[in-house]
Formats: sequence, C-alpha cells, structure tokens
Amino acid sequence: MSTVTAQSVERQLASIVGEQHVGAREVNAAQIEINGITPASVVSPGSADEIAAVLQFANSRDLVVAPAGGFTQQDIGGVPARIDILLHTGRMNAIAHYDPGDLTVGLNAGIPFAQALKQLEEHQQWLPFDAANLETASVGGLLATAAAGPLKHAFGGLRDFCIGVQFVTADGKVAKGGGRVVKNVAGYDLMKLMIGSYGSLAVITGANFKVFPKPRRTRTFACVFGSLEDALKFRGQVLRSPLQPLCLEILSPGAQEYLCDPAPARDADHYTPSQPVVGPADQWQIALRAAGSDNVLARYRRELGAAVTRELEGENESQFWRWVSQFEHNVLARHRNAMVMYTHLAIQDVAPALQAWQRAATEHNFIAAGLGRVAAGNLVLIFIPLAVDPPPATQFSNCVAAFRGMLPPGSSAEVAHCPKEAKPYLDVWGPTPTDLTLMKGVKHAIDPRNILNRGRFIV
Amino acid sequence: MDSAIIRELRKIAGKDAVLDRPEELMLYEYDGGQDKSRPGAVVFPQTTDHVSRIMRLAHSTKTPVVPRGAGTGLSGGAIASRQAIMLAMARMNKILEIDVENQRAVVQPGVVNLEVSNATAKYGYYYAPDPSSQKACTIGGNVAENSGGPHTLAMGVTVNHITGIEAVLPDGRIVHFGGKTQDSCGLDLTGFFVGSEGTMGIATAVTVKLTRLPESVATLLAIYNSVEDAANTVVAITQSGVTPAALEMLDGWMVRCVEENVHAGYPMDAAAVLLIELEGLKEAVEEQAEAVSKVCSEQKAREVRRARDEQQRQLLWLGRKTAFGAVGRVAPAYYTQDGVIPRTKVPATLQEIERISQKYGLTIANVFHAGDGNLHPLILFDSRDPKQIEDSHKAGNEIMACCLRFGGSITGEHGVGSEKRQFMTAMFTEDDLEVMVRLRNAYNPESILNPQKMIPDLRYCREITGPLPRPKVEPVSGVPV
Repeated sequence: MSTVTAQSVERQLASIVGEQHVGAREVNAAQIEINGITPASVVSPGSADEIAAVLQFANSRDLVVAPAGGFTQQDIGGVPARIDILLHTGRMNAIAHYDPGDLTVGLNAGIPFAQALKQLEEHQQWLPFDAANLETASVGGLLATAAAGPLKHAFGGLRDFCIGVQFVTADGKVAKGGGRVVKNVAGYDLMKLMIGSYGSLAVITGANFKVFPKPRRTRTFACVFGSLEDALKFRGQVLRSPLQPLCLEILSPGAQEYLCDPAPARDADHYTPSQPVVGPADQWQIALRAAGSDNVLARYRRELGAAVTRELEGENESQFWRWVSQFEHNVLARHRNAMVMYTHLAIQDVAPALQAWQRAATEHNFIAAGLGRVAAGNLVLIFIPLAVDPPPATQFSNCVAAFRGMLPPGSSAEVAHCPKEAKPYLDVWGPTPTDLTLMKGVKHAIDPRNILNRGRFIV
Repeated sequence: MDSAIIRELRKIAGKDAVLDRPEELMLYEYDGGQDKSRPGAVVFPQTTDHVSRIMRLAHSTKTPVVPRGAGTGLSGGAIASRQAIMLAMARMNKILEIDVENQRAVVQPGVVNLEVSNATAKYGYYYAPDPSSQKACTIGGNVAENSGGPHTLAMGVTVNHITGIEAVLPDGRIVHFGGKTQDSCGLDLTGFFVGSEGTMGIATAVTVKLTRLPESVATLLAIYNSVEDAANTVVAITQSGVTPAALEMLDGWMVRCVEENVHAGYPMDAAAVLLIELEGLKEAVEEQAEAVSKVCSEQKAREVRRARDEQQRQLLWLGRKTAFGAVGRVAPAYYTQDGVIPRTKVPATLQEIERISQKYGLTIANVFHAGDGNLHPLILFDSRDPKQIEDSHKAGNEIMACCLRFGGSITGEHGVGSEKRQFMTAMFTEDDLEVMVRLRNAYNPESILNPQKMIPDLRYCREITGPLPRPKVEPVSGVPV
C-alpha cells in the first residue's frame, strides 16, 4: 500500500458505508488479527451494494481484502503478506425469508447460524448442521469454510442443502446462483463453487437453504471397543445393516478427555491431563445417533446388540454432541500449540489414515486425540505437542509431511490450525486430487487481481 | 463438414466409429426436446484418449463439438449445428469398477443409469437418482444435466451422488476432480461440473455413490375428487414431519391416459392421484405409512390404497414412469415443461395452468414431482396445425412466467439447453450471467464445446469485455422473448 495511506482508504470507505461503520468499533479488536497480521482498515458494509462498492474500490487500488463473519475460523489457511481491508459482514444479519410450508429459508451472510436455527425450531424444523461455534459463526463464514459436524454422516455437508447463493465478486459484481426452490438446474451450480472457497472467489452475502422436519426424538448409542480394528469391524456391520443413523462418529482413546465443557486455560503448552485419564489407552469408541419412535429405537438396540455400553438421551445426549462439535476448540483452549488436521478419506482408508496419524504423532513427539465421521472419511485429527518448551516449527512440518506421506492415494488432509510460526514451513492445504490449474483458472475468472484472501487459500 | 476433419476423426476413433452420410446423421438431428438440427459428423470415441485427441483436433480447427449421451434430454442440450462434430458417448459404456466397501462405482459416461443399479443390486446397493428415462439415459448425460427423478425428494439429485470425475477439457487436456472421497481439499470442482450441460468439459469417467437398498418400501396411492385437495395434501405431508422417498402427482386426464396404457388399477374417474413412497427401516416405514394415510384422509382423499406386493408396486410406478409415452399414444405431439415452484404454490399454479389451458383451447396434462414442486405440464397439440404449434409455445411461456412469479425456476431437472436459453434473463441479471460466462471461459474460452447452450445469446454474454448494454429483462407477459 505504498501509494495509498490507511487514512485515505478509510476516508474512501467511509464515503461508501458511513463513518460509523469504518474502523474496528463494531468488532472486538483482538479478533481482527489474522495469523498475526493486523488489517490496516476494517469496514462493515450494510448491503451487497455497499460490499460491491468497497470491492470495486479495493480492486482498483490493488488492496487485499479479507472477508470476516463471526471470526471463528480466521486463522485457517496461510499467513497473508498483508491485509488492507477486513470486510466484516456482521451488519447483514437478517433472516431474508422463511417459508415453513415450502421448507425453505434465506439467510443473510452475517447472521449467526444458531439464531436462524432458533427461528426454525418454532416450526419443528431445522437445518441438519452441527459444526462448532454456531452461536457466533456466521452463515457466510460457515459456507466459505465448508464447515461440518457429526450430522454430515446422514445429511451431507452444506453443499447438499444450500439451494441458492448471493455474492459479490472481487471486482464488484453483485451476482447469484440457484434460487429459492429445492430443485433447480438453471445456470451453473455456483453454490458448489462458493462453498469451501474460503472467501477467495467472492464475498458471500446470503444463501438459501432447504430445511428439514426436525426429528422429534433421538437417542445415542455409545459403543466401546478394545482396538481400532474392532471399532471398524463394528462400523462395517452398521453400514451393511438397514439402519440409517443420523451420526456415526469414531472417537480415539485420547479424545475422551476433551469431551467436556472448556476448562479454564492453564499452561497452554503442556500436555497434562486435568484428571487422571481412566481406561486403557487403546479404547476406541463409536457413537451412533438415531431418530425415531420407541419401536424404531428398539430395533436399533436389537441390531446393535451387546456392543452398546451406554445410551444417552435428552440433555445428556445434546451435551455429548455439543462436545463432539466443539472438540477441536476445546483441545485448543487447553493446548494453544496443538495442530488440527481435517481429512478427506474413502471409507476403507479411515483405518490406514488413523494408523498413519498415530504413528506420525508418536514419531514427532505429539499426543494424538481425534474423532470424526467414520463412514464419511471426514476426521478431525489433533497433534498435541508433548514438549515443555515451545516446539520447533520443523516438528510440525515434519509431522505433516510424514502423515501425508503415509495416507492412501486419493486422500487429502489440510492443516486447519497450527501455531502461526510453523505455517511458513509447511503446506497448509497440501496436495489435492482435483486439478489445481483449473482451480487457479476459476479464481482468476472472478478475482483477476487476486485481492480476496491473497496468500491464504490454495488458489 | 471438412473431409480432412472426417479423415482425422476416423484415424483417431476407427473407420466404423464415424458417421457422415446424411441418412446416418438424420438419427442424430433431434433429442427428446423440440429443436432439430443435423450435425456435420458423429464420432463414437471408445477411450478417454480418443476424446482427448478429438478435442485437440476440434480445438486446433475451431470446430464446435456437442457431446451426446442417449439423446433423451428434453431441453435440446444435445442438438448440434451443421458445422459441429457430435461426440456420441454410447460406446464408452463400461462399468469400470464396483467398490462395494467404499460404496462407490466408477463408470464410463455411456453407461445407462439403470444398469448401475442392476449391477450393484446383488451387493445390496443401488444408484439413487432415477430419472423417468433411466432405462435409456446415461450417466454422462445425467451429470451434464444434474438429472433428478421421483426419488430425489429424499435422496437428492445427481450432484449429491457424484464424488469424482475424469473429464477432457476443450483443449484436450485430461483433468480429474475429486475421487472416491466424499469431498477433497480445495474448490469443489466436482460439484461445479455437474449440471454444466457439456459446456465445461466432457466427463469420461464418473465416480458415483452407491446407496444401501432400503429394507422396506411402502407405496401408497391416494385418490382425490379434486386437484386442490391433492395439492394441499402435499403441503400437509411435509408439515407432518415425514419426508417421503417420492411424492408424485398425476391429474385426472393423465390418470386415465396412463391407465389405458398400463392397466395398473388407477381409478378412471379420479380428479387427481398422489403416488407416495416411503422407504427405510421396516418399523419406520409402517409408522410413516400410517401417518401419511391419515394426512391424506384428513385432506379429503376419497381412498388411500397401498401396494400389496412388489408386483403391484412396480405396476404403479410403471404408470408414472411411462406417463410421457402414454400421452404419445393419444396426442400427435406434446410439449413438456419443467417449471419449479415453492410447494405451497402447487394449488395456485395448477389453477393457473387450467386457466391457460382454457385460454388456448389446448389440453394440458399434469404429471409431476409434487413433493419438491417440480411441475411437468404436458401441452398437447397437433403439429400439423401451425396455430396450435404457436399457441403451445405461448401457453408454455405463460406457465413459465407463472412459475417465476411464484418465486420458482425455469427448470428443475431437464436443463436449460437450447430450449430455455432465452428464459435465463428472466431468472438471472446481466451480472449473474456475466459471472457464469467468465467461469465457463476458464474451462471453455472459445465456446467450442456445446456452443449456444444454457447461456442466452445476448451481446453482453458474447463480448463480456466490451461496454455492457442495459439488461434486456423487460418481460413480455412475464417472460422475455
């Protein structure tokens, strides 16, 4: 930003959104830092047109823009060289339309997801989506990061029930894809393109979803196994059975300790359990959540048989799944130097991937704690450093390389969180089976000057 | 077509894999839609390498290429101009791999939809998207159109069941998106490719999800004396908390037409019927069947029947899936629409269709996916009467305008193709379309692959870099001409 000063940028931004919406007044100043980089200016537009004007201005001056919603996943991705404008969508926080009879809802990008869910609940409907931090995470941010939780097992990701998306391209075109009806093939499926684009293609301003009747009753069956092999054998039985669980989650031996309400931060660099870890270290758990009447649940009980060690219902059940969703954040609250990886695996590659993870962790002085969708191949694998002193960056980079090197072909795994000091030494996104040249072509088509999240995403 | 190009095509794909005589090309001048045009040549590649070499040839000679599956499409997506090579994928029809443990199959684009289910049934799996043409249509075409079908209400459309694609780009480059994993790192170019109507690349291998066959299925037929009651039932069922696997509606005219064709036991005097299917665990299906029957009765169904066995179930579905064929027996020609509306607008839309039918004096039969508001009004006309042809199009446009007025879409599963290209401006702004063109250009910069499809033929779509004219979105009775 050699030719433009921050003041002149802010003056320009103020002329678009009004003075009161420029600067970090509307956000928590501590949140706006991204991997140690503080944005030069913060702007909170109130409409898609204002976003378009901000982006046109940024694009014409080669200013790097980072979109922000609820600030829950801002550290994901590479370390940007600079951020000139942090574009916060928090003012765009309305439910645009909700039609219970049509089972559709339209949400503005800045609305916290839980707020929308509350509205749906009044009509016994829901969006089957349980990623972490839904009280603060915004719809736009969740879409951009393709966030997911345990319900992905039965319902797929946001991509599977997002029916329309509104966005502003990097050069300031207000555009949309899809619509408000549940079935629609007019035009390109821009929802798929925007979901998981990490704010690198456009700023999402809103989205429409198809909603579902909320299951009236659910029950969770927890099954404990003496080895990973036994746990996966059980998974095979469930997959071959006629059962249709809502969630099918695997929990590693080290994971149990973090399934609790967040403990107050202690010496964050140390691995010391808050209480003695009970049970053998090779104890794997599979949690299966089912919906239905007494009759249906009795059938689950019969099919699952002796494997079930515990049943959860009511508040205990909700709390358990909340802990599962919050797992990585709970770990990070205790160990700020922990590294979180997300995997994309074929069903049968879950076993070798979990073995690779445990081996890479042991060989690089990490404790392994993880969980995830055991039949969808989306695992949240955490490496917790054992070291008393801050671990060297190479410990992380070597571990990531070793882990990826052991993954079966076709798999991919990204680093969702690690100390920012380690990021320059490793490839956050890693190899992908999808054509990278074409990804870059797509990026170039709607962000030709690369102003959106420069240096943070794979493209 | 330049004879040098024909020679090259023969060199690539084999002597018997290229058609260029007029009598041969005649068979490829139409698909399931209304438009007709004879291609310059038809070539049948047998491998990904063939497709790549053909595309390199087309790229270097700037020859347009139009891919084609089984030609069952209803929007003119597989229609090629005289200057174009038609790339017929029929000989790439192998199931390359069935990976039961990973719940995936890898198939070539020419594999017929139903064959995937037939090949995997013995393992207890099937391929869920089931367009009515599933006995003939191919996976490649399904991917291009993002096809639906009756059972997509609960199971999702094609894009929800595709995890990996190998494709050839217009310049001949072979690329891969995704694989057997549910998703992968980076942009979701797999999902973005599905439904691109052959304008981004040619799928040469597709990884599809296999779904566990349900333990139990119940098929109900609810019979009504009024269309409105049937339409209200649709809303009431979804509000009751049950998501049926399929929820189809046929109006009285259609019921009689189908019954004369297949003798499935549809009542000849009904004003409308709903065909409702519930799938899943035995216990859940029984409960849901009971709940749905109750809702139907509350909404004044005169009778709710349940298929007693698989044979009866198949017969009921045969009626639904051959509905278009049945109409063909009684009407010389018909024009199918594919509008979508929010499901609470089904009653109002059907009234509007009735009004349009009377206005033009044309019979309009309705058979559609009521559960997701995807209408298929069939406008019957006599193709020997120019006035009727004209009126059928006018009626179709009015129906489309009505769908858009209710906040719907111009196509739910048939695609835009060449037929609905000019309606795109009624749904999308100039900027929306510009973004789409720019993205297409990342794959297909010179538009040699399936040109003149999906994107409307407006100046700002052709020359997106020049100064932009004002949007031409003033509607003529709701729809621009």
